[in-house]
Amino acid sequence: MARGNTSKRQRPSAPTQRKQAHGKAHCLRILRQLSAYIDDELSGDICDEIRRHLGACPNCETFVTSLRQTVSLCRHSPSPTLSAASRALMRKTILETTPVP
Amino acid sequence: MNASPATDRRPDKSSTRTRSAKDFDTLYRDHVDLMYRFAHRLCGEAETAKDLVQETFLNAYRGLDRFRGDAQISTWLYTIASRACLRMRRKRKGAPERELSLEEFIPTSDGEFRLQIPIDGLSPEAALHNKQLREALDTAINQLPKKYKMVLVLRDMEGVSAKEVGTIMGLNERAVKSRLHRARLFVRRQLSARGLGEPLTDHDHTPVRKRRSASHGTREHL
Repeated sequence: MARGNTSKRQRPSAPTQRKQAHGKAHCLRILRQLSAYIDDELSGDICDEIRRHLGACPNCETFVTSLRQTVSLCRHSPSPTLSAASRALMRKTILETTPVP
Repeated sequence: MNASPATDRRPDKSSTRTRSAKDFDTLYRDHVDLMYRFAHRLCGEAETAKDLVQETFLNAYRGLDRFRGDAQISTWLYTIASRACLRMRRKRKGAPERELSLEEFIPTSDGEFRLQIPIDGLSPEAALHNKQLREALDTAINQLPKKYKMVLVLRDMEGVSAKEVGTIMGLNERAVKSRLHRARLFVRRQLSARGLGEPLTDHDHTPVRKRRSASHGTREHL
């Protein structure tokens, strides 16, 4: 009775099993590729592998979310703009410094 | 997205070969805003950015007749600006350049793995209305060693392709992507570790950082 119990205990918990099989080394391998993953530069096979890992590993899932957010914030950061006065002043300075041949 | 991709005008060769004030005016008018945005993002403040733009267009003006029109003119200007920026910074303070190793970004605990950027479901545009977050982002970018900063600014802020960044910086695409990854990891870590892990408010809220550092490590354990 007890014997059957122990041998079956691990089978239903596939996610746990997967997590153990992955271990930290796998997380680190995934982390190295996350920018390429975010930028959609990886082959389908590798993407699938990463997706499977993320589904089973909350740490990496959170990590990739925060990395995506970082990139997204960079992409949306406000554009510094130049005033018309500065634009005109710089033009004048450049033309004065380098005379027309 | 307000960081529109680089203007990709391929100039008429004959017009760019002639070194004249008229050609310069066209070049300047069409690209000065792009170059200022780039320079400001690289330098982190307005006055140095203006110096850099000026230096860039001076060099461009002098080299206008050497521009062969076989690259996009924006790529050519980005290249001139990047080189000028490296020279300027070297002259100014010799900022220590260091390599970012991947190892330094590898989380050593579950808590580090799970550090979050506290934008709480907000869109990036909405999140960036928050001054504290904007400043944290600027600070993080400014703390990047310059060769990493250039790649991040060109790629993630200016919207330049990895291949073009390679041309601008004289790197192969692989090196560009490697630097970009490290730069992103750096900014992510700085943002998530800066005590912004509380709900965003529209005003500065100094106690947040203290509160967070006190709870750091326990709040985010699995």
